[in-house]
Amino acid sequence: MKKQYILIILAALLIPLINACTEKPANNALIITGQSNHDWKVSSPVLAQIIEGTGLFTVEIMTTPQEGGDMTLFDPDFSKYNLVVLDYVGDPWSEKTQNAFVEYVKNGGGLVVYHGSCISFPEWKEYNEIIGLGGWKDRNEKDGPYVYYKRNELVYDTAAGPAGSHGPAHEFEVRTRVMDHPVTQGLPVRWMHATDELYQQLRGPAENMQVLATAFADTAFKGTGRDEPVLLALQYGNGRIFHTLLGHAEEGNVTAMECTGFIVTLQRGAEWAATGTVTQKIPSDFPTAAAVVLRPGFREITTDEAFEMIADYDIQKSTRYYTQIQAEIINAAGDEQKLLGLEKQMVKILTDNEASVEGKKLMLRELGWMGSDYCVNAIKELVNVPELKDEAEFALERLDIKE
Amino acid sequence: MSGKTSRREFIRRSAAIAAGAFVIPEIIPSSALGMGGKTAPSNRVVMGAIGTGSQGMANMRDFLRLKDAVRFVAVCDVDSVRLNRAKQVVDTANNSSDCRTYGDFREFLEKEKPDAVSIALPDHWHGIIYTETVNKKFHVYGEKPISRTIRDGQTIVAAVKKNNIIWQTGSWQRSQAHFHRGAELVRNGRIGKISRIVVGLPDGGRSIGTPPVKEVPAELNWEMWLGPAPKVPYRGVSHWDWRWILDYSGGQLTDWAGHHIDIGNWGADLEYTGPVEISGKGVYPPEGIYNAPVEYDFICKYANGIEMRVANSSRLEHGMGTTWYGDLGWIHTNRGNVLTASNADILKEVIGENETHLYKSENHWQNFIDSVKSGKPAIAPIEPAYRAISVALLGEIAMTTGETIKWDPEKEEIIGNPRAARLLERPYRKPWTLPTV
Repeated sequence: MKKQYILIILAALLIPLINACTEKPANNALIITGQSNHDWKVSSPVLAQIIEGTGLFTVEIMTTPQEGGDMTLFDPDFSKYNLVVLDYVGDPWSEKTQNAFVEYVKNGGGLVVYHGSCISFPEWKEYNEIIGLGGWKDRNEKDGPYVYYKRNELVYDTAAGPAGSHGPAHEFEVRTRVMDHPVTQGLPVRWMHATDELYQQLRGPAENMQVLATAFADTAFKGTGRDEPVLLALQYGNGRIFHTLLGHAEEGNVTAMECTGFIVTLQRGAEWAATGTVTQKIPSDFPTAAAVVLRPGFREITTDEAFEMIADYDIQKSTRYYTQIQAEIINAAGDEQKLLGLEKQMVKILTDNEASVEGKKLMLRELGWMGSDYCVNAIKELVNVPELKDEAEFALERLDIKE
Repeated sequence: MSGKTSRREFIRRSAAIAAGAFVIPEIIPSSALGMGGKTAPSNRVVMGAIGTGSQGMANMRDFLRLKDAVRFVAVCDVDSVRLNRAKQVVDTANNSSDCRTYGDFREFLEKEKPDAVSIALPDHWHGIIYTETVNKKFHVYGEKPISRTIRDGQTIVAAVKKNNIIWQTGSWQRSQAHFHRGAELVRNGRIGKISRIVVGLPDGGRSIGTPPVKEVPAELNWEMWLGPAPKVPYRGVSHWDWRWILDYSGGQLTDWAGHHIDIGNWGADLEYTGPVEISGKGVYPPEGIYNAPVEYDFICKYANGIEMRVANSSRLEHGMGTTWYGDLGWIHTNRGNVLTASNADILKEVIGENETHLYKSENHWQNFIDSVKSGKPAIAPIEPAYRAISVALLGEIAMTTGETIKWDPEKEEIIGNPRAARLLERPYRKPWTLPTV
């Protein structure tokens, strides 16, 4: 009988990234999907794209047999991977596969558990120890405590009751609870997450588990009134597990997965689970308490693209790309070559006849403090442009300060 | 009132009348004529107010609440609705209708001769208006933060010193017993040698994105509101919410520096110096016209080894307020009468007669009036206010540049970093310039 799983290699989707990074990534990730009460055909390719987007992973997607199929045919070779990503709710795996999976994690394999996968396998003891918290499928007090924050204290609540529920999807604020974990280090302590399901009343063994982030489950959205876990980090044997409860997706609606907060925490969680460290920088478009930020196409805007948008900026448009350039200046601190590179791109906008007046104003503001001698002549030219005279003179006045 | 102030007041008024500057006759109601046990008018401090928004009016009411202490005679604002509301409050208090109104502070300063002026304006106006007012030798109750930039602050400090007037900063926490007590315990070594101060200030708020350009309301002089700040179109944001926009303010960080950083400096005896090294990180809104950091976390190292961490409160164990850490324990203080310590016995300590007793005031506005009358400094003089906001502004520069900033607190200059040094000031839009002292 023909094997029923298929292998999809996503290189085709990722041409820009592969161009940027010609070396083969050092890590191999396997996404397991194929059955779910969620729309796995939507979510799994997105997970693959996001994780490959780090430039650190080659990702394969493996699908199990369909519901009711012969699960003995699902027999992955976990030894080929240092990261497994679960996007799966469905039939129990074969005993052989279950054992291989537990051994994989125990021996130091990295694991990412995504959103609905916390519903899977209520009867499988080791699985629940690995994921820490789960919900639905008749889970209750026999499976472990509720875990949540109440008045800034972490609570393990053994009260009787069912596990797993959520109200209508909505935007909510995520609160980082552990600031010094590799996954969360450098993140804002509060940030807005795009419209998503907020899981609540999860329960499980919760051993060797850190609640990295929570979100307040507002009673206005049928919430518990508690700060419910949304990001978890666990240790099982030598294995590291990053468990994100976020990112609900369905056909035609991937907003929750487009949230930069979801993308970046997943990328950092994947690297940490696979390697134990996180080398990725916090990007400038990470959301804050001020606002949700989406990445249409799940991809970060490049510096060149940001400059293009600024060249086209007018006062009714979003300042997002300007903010990105400001963040890149901060990230380039101490690196004169990088700063000069940014300066040259700004000067290019100043000297571009097609570039907008408002875009030039933004660049003059930055050049006024971070510019070198390189930009001075271009700015002097703009003193003669009536709409830019003020800004050009501001910049020159400041640039005159040499010490 | 001291003879000195009375005499000066007399001279000023005589000179003004002789020069014909007063075209409006001043009607003094009988309630102010020293009858029925009331304070004689010559003993009331004659005041004006520049900036009659929420904080300006709150201060005015705090002054009016004092028994027979002040008489407001003139108000100034760029918003005519607010200006007229302020006039009504003053006229009601004076039981008259003679409060004079100005839409331009230059005219106010030219025509009015008050003893003292209460000023509450967006930060970007402080450099010019504080300095001009002080140059007129009027005493000033001025809102924190002292300035939008360190250069503006230096100019204001120089003006106050040169003109030798009474300055009271709106850092009213100094006049609350529990802040005073916390600072005094720390100053007297009750938690040992201080190694660390942690200051928690509010988190930033939600974005409003980029609202459409709107017609300026008839009552608002937008050009004057902007003043020295860059010319930008009106988007329905001016009063109050200016504090989330970097052209006018540094956000919660600079708004609150004059409270909990100031208290931290007071307790640790850092109020006449500044840090030598500053580094940290800000979290900025990803877009929108509100561009002040919504989170911030930076460390200031002082020459004596003390480290001050300033951060938005959600990042901190003790949240809002000031916490001093010494080798014998810690003391934390915050609004709402919060004064706690690592060991409750610390808070029972008595400060002996020969120990350091910090300046004591029970009412911040009364303290200013008392100082105006006595000529003695007020509890929140100019230099500590400048030093408190400098901490925040240096933090802002460290976060904007991404660099570790070296600061010389004696010469008040950034060392070896021209980019950062440029951020010590903001250029003024013509015709405005920072006044000379």
